[in-house]
Amino acid sequence: MANPSSLQAAIAAHRFGLGEPSLEAIAPDPQQWLLAQIGPADAPRGDGLLSTAQALEHVAAEREKRQLAKNPPAGMTAEQVLAGHYRDVIVADARSRLLTAATTTRPFAERLQLFWANHFTVSLAKGATRGLVGAFERDAIRPNIAGSFETLLVASTTHPAMLRYLDNVQSAGPRSRIVARAARRAERSGEGPRITGLNENLAREVLELHTLGAESARGANGSYTQADVTAFARVLTGWRVGLQSTDPGDAFDANWHEPGAKTVLGKVYAEGPDALRRVLHDLAFHPATANFIATKIARHFVADIPPPALVDRLAQTYLRNDTRLAPVYQELVRSPEAWMPQPMKLKTPEEFVLSATRVLRFNPRLFERGDNAIGIGALGQRIQAAPSPAGWSDRAEDWLGPDAVWKRIEWSTRTANRVGGSVDARALAAQSLGPLLSLETKTQIERAADGPQALALLLMAPEFQRR
Amino acid sequence: MHKHPHFNPQRRQMMGAALGAGALGAMSSLSFAAGGNGSGKRFVFVVLRGGLDGLSAAPAVGDPEFAAARGPLAQFGSAPLTLDATFALHPSLAQLHTLYAAGELAVVHAVGLPYRERSHFDAQQVLESGGVRPYELTTGWLGRALAPSAAKSLALNTAVPLVLRGPGVVDTWAPSALPDPSADLVARLERMYGNDAALATALQRAKTLHFDGAMPGDMNAMDTKAMSIAGRGGNFTLLAQRAAEFLAQPNGPQAAVLELGGFDSHANQANPNGALSNTLRQLDAGLAALREGLLASGTWSRTVVVVATEFGREVAVNGTLGTDHGTGGAAFVLGGAVKGGRVIADWPGLAKRERFEGRDLRITTDLRAVLRGVLADHLQVATRSLNTDVFPGSETVKPLGLLKA
Repeated sequence: MANPSSLQAAIAAHRFGLGEPSLEAIAPDPQQWLLAQIGPADAPRGDGLLSTAQALEHVAAEREKRQLAKNPPAGMTAEQVLAGHYRDVIVADARSRLLTAATTTRPFAERLQLFWANHFTVSLAKGATRGLVGAFERDAIRPNIAGSFETLLVASTTHPAMLRYLDNVQSAGPRSRIVARAARRAERSGEGPRITGLNENLAREVLELHTLGAESARGANGSYTQADVTAFARVLTGWRVGLQSTDPGDAFDANWHEPGAKTVLGKVYAEGPDALRRVLHDLAFHPATANFIATKIARHFVADIPPPALVDRLAQTYLRNDTRLAPVYQELVRSPEAWMPQPMKLKTPEEFVLSATRVLRFNPRLFERGDNAIGIGALGQRIQAAPSPAGWSDRAEDWLGPDAVWKRIEWSTRTANRVGGSVDARALAAQSLGPLLSLETKTQIERAADGPQALALLLMAPEFQRR
Repeated sequence: MHKHPHFNPQRRQMMGAALGAGALGAMSSLSFAAGGNGSGKRFVFVVLRGGLDGLSAAPAVGDPEFAAARGPLAQFGSAPLTLDATFALHPSLAQLHTLYAAGELAVVHAVGLPYRERSHFDAQQVLESGGVRPYELTTGWLGRALAPSAAKSLALNTAVPLVLRGPGVVDTWAPSALPDPSADLVARLERMYGNDAALATALQRAKTLHFDGAMPGDMNAMDTKAMSIAGRGGNFTLLAQRAAEFLAQPNGPQAAVLELGGFDSHANQANPNGALSNTLRQLDAGLAALREGLLASGTWSRTVVVVATEFGREVAVNGTLGTDHGTGGAAFVLGGAVKGGRVIADWPGLAKRERFEGRDLRITTDLRAVLRGVLADHLQVATRSLNTDVFPGSETVKPLGLLKA
């Protein structure tokens, strides 16, 4: 029977991290290994990464290119003008996310970065965000994962990618100057005005997905109503980075802002750009937000249905520390509920591929044939392209369909074919899983027909699929 | 190994066949010759995610308030396709319009869920769970409806959508760009999953779908082709074609679920080349492909398809030439077994005072009336089961008669 600290090391590596080829470095003090990682995420690795300002410039240039493609210059086809349209940036962003997570020595911090990037989803599934998703993660999320939730919330909500993803760039105060101007112009031209009023999308999703949670709007004691959504949308008017703008610091345009005070959740906020920060402050400090964030963190790390006592403690810690997240993570790491030996979570496809890549020590043969995302998309979780603002599911039932499991087997087969000949899966199983390695798995790996099959069995083992 | 000679979703040489009508016809006639299981009835549920704007998909052009209520959204790139004196279809739904004329499509309007809030995620949970409030039920109404007869079902997705979750058997299928594992590896995995029931069950299901006789030919090439089609936005049509192949098998699933996203039209939704028009075109093409794939075997005459979304949208245009989340919307019921050629609506009107909370199309038909009607009349689900298991709390919802006599 293994000693308790090596079991803890294995749990730390898999449940809180992204898998390690060896547990040696963790074993002396698994809790401390995690606590020492709490802080901003690593600087992103990789080439061709744009800052938010550069990304906005790139998007503006791509828009020009698209215009040019309508009337290509002599000797060029539209396809030639558009060659590589956004592709290089999207590939560099996805590759950097993968590379950073696969090679970091602070995988717990990286898990938190992945968690928050999913909480504040900005997705390539919507064209308006193309070329900006990576910059959003790098500039709004990575530096802020261990600061206060309020800071993270402000950074996310006011980032150009979020303002575009959830349509706020187009939302105008119904009584704003821009709407009045559009109406006058429309009257002169005889056409309908192009800008007329609110778009509620960002307001609703900030309340429902980023702060209070949908649950808090349900039932008789709902904490927000349609009127709050509309009022918050009015607060948000003017927060936009125009499609031509390349300056991310210039995210508020008073011409689009709805004049007058607004009442959100029973509190009055004065006209102007400062109201947004005040509303976000109050939302961050709302008990419903504390509960929602605590639930999501506990669900992500501990169990699909998280222990209520743990959720309560995390929520209390969050409120007691003025929404600062580091104490919440510390509380999580120190909670006995988080160290139960039985794994309660199934890795998502991205976590699975990242942990496989890490235990295989980032073997370059994994990236054969220019396969930048090494097939995470084929497993149903295309990088930075969640299907909705709610992000990817954090529940096993959504990833355990027969086809989903089959595709993991297919992926393991391909990976094992690429690198299995040069890996001793028996040793790797013992070193990476430690006491988590079950007798059944060990036996099957030992009896495998060849190296690749042994590796495929390791990757598909329950103790490798779960965490 | 247990074999299903006729129901074999992953037999990948069919991937190529799915792209050409010839082979599809040959396969379908084979199925037909082999006879059917039970009644041979087929049901397809199509989930439109994002909140389809019912007044764009099926505009009430004859409503005297329509033009004023909709403003710029009353204009379409080309003329809406007339259904009756009041209603029309979006110009992107040309093939559905043909089905309507042929009496195979009914439009249900001012329809919606018992849920009246405007969250996508809560509304989709209610749409799929069949509950009254979000998260009161954790399985799906279709999964529960199929349970007593132990009928098989199929989701054209990697994940099982909530609507199909329940006690029964659900298969999932989606195109793959990855290589097949060997039968030997799968057998070893089965032994390894002795203590993990969830993985063991998923593997067992997947295996019976995937390993069924030889898989000759250049499978990877075909999968790559499928993926590239998916990449061009033809994914829904491809999935509909595959659904048709499975459903046409005598041993095939009784029910299938397809999903199509992209209906959250917050901006520029009237643009004839914009996102909403394109997504409606995909829906139109996919449903036409489904019908085409079911016709030759005669399965279409035994098929009912219900197309529904989580909520409709606000009646008035928002500030960005789109619409924000609303409540009442439209649904489609089609199939060879459907008594179509009609719009079913207790039309509340579009005047502001008639709108729900002054903003949305008022729900006058409960979507569960549509679903209860189809489940009872088509799949012979007992009323008692509908009341207690499938749609608890729906006893007072009177089912709609939607089938041919």
